[in-house]
Amino acid sequence: MSESPSQRSIVGTIDHLLRGGYTRPEDLAGGRVGIPTGTLLIVCLVMGAFYGAMMGLYGTTTDHSEMVFASAVKVPLLFLLTLFVTLPSLYVFSALARSHLRGADTLRLLLVAVAVNMVVLASFGPVTAFFTFSTNSYLFIKLLNVLFFGIAGIIGLGFLRRALVPVMGKPPIVEKAVVERTPVEMPALDVPYDPALAAEPVVAPQPSPTNLIRTTRPPANDPAKGVFRAWIVIYGIVGAQMGWILRPFIGAPSRDFQWFRARESNFLGDVLNSLRDLVF
Amino acid sequence: MNPGSLILRDAELLLRAEGQHATGSERLPWRSLLAWIACAGFLYGAAMGSSGSQAQQSLYSGLKVPLMLAISSALTLPNFFVVNTLLGLRDDFAEACRGLMSMQATMALALLSMAPLVLFGYACGIDYQFAKVLNGLMFLLASVCGQITLYRHYRVLIERDPRHRVGMFAWLALYTLIAIQMAWVLRPFIGNPDLPVSFFRADAFQGTAYENLFQILIDSLSFD
Repeated sequence: MSESPSQRSIVGTIDHLLRGGYTRPEDLAGGRVGIPTGTLLIVCLVMGAFYGAMMGLYGTTTDHSEMVFASAVKVPLLFLLTLFVTLPSLYVFSALARSHLRGADTLRLLLVAVAVNMVVLASFGPVTAFFTFSTNSYLFIKLLNVLFFGIAGIIGLGFLRRALVPVMGKPPIVEKAVVERTPVEMPALDVPYDPALAAEPVVAPQPSPTNLIRTTRPPANDPAKGVFRAWIVIYGIVGAQMGWILRPFIGAPSRDFQWFRARESNFLGDVLNSLRDLVF
Repeated sequence: MNPGSLILRDAELLLRAEGQHATGSERLPWRSLLAWIACAGFLYGAAMGSSGSQAQQSLYSGLKVPLMLAISSALTLPNFFVVNTLLGLRDDFAEACRGLMSMQATMALALLSMAPLVLFGYACGIDYQFAKVLNGLMFLLASVCGQITLYRHYRVLIERDPRHRVGMFAWLALYTLIAIQMAWVLRPFIGNPDLPVSFFRADAFQGTAYENLFQILIDSLSFD
């Protein structure tokens, strides 16, 4: 475990990533994500390009072999552009929620989640390839990919959500209430040191019962987490819609090869239409 | 430190209510707060007005967002002062004002962070109606962000004197009332593609946002 990230091979890095080695709760609570941004980017690019190539294989069955290359470029691009659009709001929301991560560490944590997403997606690659060569139904392949992207996205965001528990830490107000009631037990509490708390002026403890009721009310910190959940919804919508404007990824057999299609309809509308066409 | 990281650092301090923006500190960092309201507000406004790719609309909208935030707060100040004095909270007035200003700055900053989302929406080719809904949602989220900062600053005051809660909610109610009408007067922010670019709409000072909302409600309920 003493191996530094730079000494690991890409497979070793991915293994360590999936085991949660870079997102141990004690590191996150201390505001550290112990993996360089560059390594994460490489993992994302390689895994994304691999799945993209698998996705584009459908093109080889319909004389659009360029699709393999186009999708291998577009899948990593899809995730990185989504990250680019949603990162500023994540930064603001997490600082507002007083997370333990600062500056570049927020970016790194998000990249870790994206990398997990990409690795899961890449693991579906052989399955996509298998179906590509065993069916000629374009609609089926399209919906299968939507399903795989959905599953990978949910796993990636679940990873992020779990990592965020130690990052967000305990709300300061609860700690204050605990300290007020049982000051002797304070050193035994397993609460990570938080510079934000230390910087806050200490309010003189008032043992009156009304004060206790007031300080144990869940105030300012909860809406901050609500805003954070809103961010996850935003991320999902932007990701889905980003996929829509970067299409085609698979290449409809009835159309010529093209890098991008005209802007029309939206992601959700098309998925529902495809489902209807496939079923009826 | 280079200017870029200094700006980022100040943004982080503002959002976390630490350093010069800490709750309960004596000093009012008004330069930083005003700069955030003006610059972040301008940039978001410019993004919001860019749907028709007309530079003039972007410039107007950019000017209007900080104006809306600043004028709405300025109009509430006399009443806020009187209410605080009546409640016997005059000694904390400066601190309370810092809470209000920090809220405006946080709103502007949150809006700025969501500008890429709006630009992305425009890039996807959303229509005018949806652009209005999208920007409305962004303002709603930003106002939630602003209120988090407001509560954070007020928590210290309320612990000192529970009457501050009355002062805060009275201010928030008045501010909301004014801000909605201010947004109505300062229309258009996005720019209806069917109308010429203008700073104010021709009917800017006629009717109110509330009458208009009521009219929309009545229209949507009538079946003829």
